[in-house]
Amino acid sequence: MTGPAPVRVEKALALMPELEALAPLRALLVSIARPDEATLWSSSGPYLTLGKRGVHPDELRRRMPQAFHRVTEHLQVLFKAYVEALECQQRADAPGVVAALLRAGRLEEDVGRHTQARTWYEVALGVAEALQDRRPEVEALRALGYVCLALGEYAAGARHFQRSLALAEAEFDQAGATAASEGLGDVALAQGQWGGAQAWYSRGLRLAEAASDAPRAGRLERQLGVLARKQRDLAAAGEFLRRARERFEVAGLADEMAGVLNEQGLLDAQLGRYTAASAAYREALAWAQRAPRDARLELSIRLNLAELDLEAGRLLEAEAELRRAEQVAIGGHVIRRLAQIYTLMGRLRGAQGDETGFVFFEQAIELAKAVERSVATEAQVYHAYGLFRSRLGQQDEARAYLERARELFDSLGEAVERERVEQELRALSA
Amino acid sequence: MIPQVRMEPSVPSAVTSKEELALLRILVVAGDGGSAGGLLQNLRQWADDGRLEVDTAPDLPRAVRQLAGQRWDVVLAVLGERPDDDLAWWVDTLRGASGSPRLIAVAQAPSMGLVLRAEKSGVLDVLSLPLRREELVRALERLRSVASETAVALPLVEPHAVGPYALVGQSPAMLDVYKLLARVAGSSATVLVQGESGTGKEVVARAIHLNGPHATGAFVAVNCAAIPENLLESELFGHEKGSFTGAVTRKIGRFEQAGSGTLFLDEIADMSLALQAKILRAVQEREIERVGGGETIPIDVRLIAATNRDLKEAIKQGRFREDLYYRLAVVTIRLPTLVERGDDLVLLTAYYIRLFAERYGKKIHAISDRVLELLRAHAWVGNVRELRNVIERAVIVATDETLRAEHLPDELRGEETTLADRPQGGLLTLAEAEARHIARVLAHTNGQIGAAAEVLEIHRNTLTRKMKEYGL
Repeated sequence: MTGPAPVRVEKALALMPELEALAPLRALLVSIARPDEATLWSSSGPYLTLGKRGVHPDELRRRMPQAFHRVTEHLQVLFKAYVEALECQQRADAPGVVAALLRAGRLEEDVGRHTQARTWYEVALGVAEALQDRRPEVEALRALGYVCLALGEYAAGARHFQRSLALAEAEFDQAGATAASEGLGDVALAQGQWGGAQAWYSRGLRLAEAASDAPRAGRLERQLGVLARKQRDLAAAGEFLRRARERFEVAGLADEMAGVLNEQGLLDAQLGRYTAASAAYREALAWAQRAPRDARLELSIRLNLAELDLEAGRLLEAEAELRRAEQVAIGGHVIRRLAQIYTLMGRLRGAQGDETGFVFFEQAIELAKAVERSVATEAQVYHAYGLFRSRLGQQDEARAYLERARELFDSLGEAVERERVEQELRALSA
Repeated sequence: MIPQVRMEPSVPSAVTSKEELALLRILVVAGDGGSAGGLLQNLRQWADDGRLEVDTAPDLPRAVRQLAGQRWDVVLAVLGERPDDDLAWWVDTLRGASGSPRLIAVAQAPSMGLVLRAEKSGVLDVLSLPLRREELVRALERLRSVASETAVALPLVEPHAVGPYALVGQSPAMLDVYKLLARVAGSSATVLVQGESGTGKEVVARAIHLNGPHATGAFVAVNCAAIPENLLESELFGHEKGSFTGAVTRKIGRFEQAGSGTLFLDEIADMSLALQAKILRAVQEREIERVGGGETIPIDVRLIAATNRDLKEAIKQGRFREDLYYRLAVVTIRLPTLVERGDDLVLLTAYYIRLFAERYGKKIHAISDRVLELLRAHAWVGNVRELRNVIERAVIVATDETLRAEHLPDELRGEETTLADRPQGGLLTLAEAEARHIARVLAHTNGQIGAAAEVLEIHRNTLTRKMKEYGL
């Protein structure tokens, strides 16, 4: 009566070659994967990961037109952007060409295709470099800077932002210089270079305030708040975030409000103010609801909320929030973030002394390698996996995973995280 | 072995006095672009007989601020242009609010799907715009009537401890289990424990272990369905360092870890045929080999397997080895579902309330009559595990000495309030009746489509189509 059983995702994905052309099909398959109904209340239910979800081939077939539609829609706007570039070329409107090519790159970035986006930006830069007006070049360099940042190529990102800044200053392009300063701050922050980040953000803030650019000033204040929190100057962090929040609320920027409240939650959590942190995250979610749908933002807030519950020992709430985050990630086509979700799930099981929790780390490693393709994420998973093993008294395995994490952080040039792993390894040997 | 259970006489007492019931604090949220002023005025004119305290918030984010600051009984929220999304956000928001306020959603011409989804999420009512006095008053009165609960003292339970767990219950079905358990525990026989999810198979396996000849050894449990297939073999049999990518150290498998104790293989039906052959060899030869190792290692474990599947059916379908089945099912113990256990539900509820109250530092001595009604009416697809989960969450949110309906999850409370049948006073169309029935069955199966399709005796594809048609 109930029809054939669904196929497990781990088996379904094993049948799908790692081809670029199949990426939309892979995304569709994952997004329609459901927990096997029989296992929801079974003893394996709490360990359910993406791989153990099920898909019905007939549902996949039914939903295929949706995937085709998404693919054609994406290609359509890309092709349109290119045709627009061509039309601009015909009119000898070179800045228009650059703008169209940059738009195409942003469309690629929106669907997580960073490498492809970089190619569009490089073509745009090539056109922009030949222009007398340097502002399109400033913009192309900034786009390249951010895409390099997303790809974890910090040195290349910094070079692009530096060039962008130099050109903007030469052109008296204040907005360009502000944005480039923010980008340089972001690169320094990602690399744990606090002093550099502080200098760049402060410079950007001065420029933004001089230009009365409230949204940009708010963003820079938020980033200064992030930085101050990371440096444990929590009073300063609170002040920066308060100012940013005031600017965003006056401007009615719902997505920025969600972002700054998300950061406020992290700050409150660091101060041990769990109730305030929880309230900040809940308000952040409410603002996210008002903003244009952004599954990444919602996920980020939910992950922070789950981590807060985990740290406060509210394990049931943490698990429920992580399951909601998992659903948002799968339903919202943000499967890249699943590795983080499963890492937290693993940590949660570790807090319960549950050895079977290792299945979450194994799944997270697989996703970090095959889906997210992020060395930074893989390193973070190995770090958490090592701590999980250590907590269960499995010291040899703990050491092996921590050493792997250190190796990966080394390859990224990530000094702060590497030092944290090094400390764990020293503690293990002591 | 049989738990001794003594019922305490019930001591009824009003949980909340009528005076306390009278005052309702309502937060009115107008939604995007709207004004709460008109709604507020209507509310005060229609329902304010000195028993309402009303305030407004312009939108969801500002409402969240007010919810964080004070305790509210009801949030009356106007849903916007995407009512389904808005409803989901509201339900999510109120889940995290203190005092568990109830939601009254207001929408322009709410669809049947929206109403049913609201019902499933424990929303008190869905009202349509323009707001009508009698509908609003009825919703508030329903809340007041729901709030008048009577406390019943928790019955005394003397559970039989099984390590960190316990066997609780005195129903005839469980007495049969205890008798069989007592007979089998003394031997070293391999046991197959069968029962639906959450019926307590692992607890029974632990009881067998603790009362048997292998009790001095370890009890090692492996959940075969939880572990990825490519890792299960090394988890069970262990591996040598470097035997495959990721084998960073030598690993001792669960068979070896169990030593002369008991190895409990849970959800054994989920194992691949190849691995089943290796388990069979281990059971027959009483020896194993680590993955990537050539050494044969003798074993002396008692094996207990468990499944929620019909293994004979799996054998017919070629998914489970018949020879392994007969090796495992030397003795078979079948566990009853929670519904089959009758009043054990009350004993288990009392046991879990005390257990979690102690764990979370709460003093809970009573349960309301309405909670008992709701628990008895629930389908318990997840059996004792689901009950345990519900009680743990309820204890966490409970703020006084009585566990009340407001402490239960929305899904259970949704079954309690039952939104007013629509259209009011009129007869339902066939489609409306079908949609409501499907929604109820889905609520009972916790949204499990397969289980709901079985109850409804229709194909899951038909059910999926109807759910889509009705916007469920």
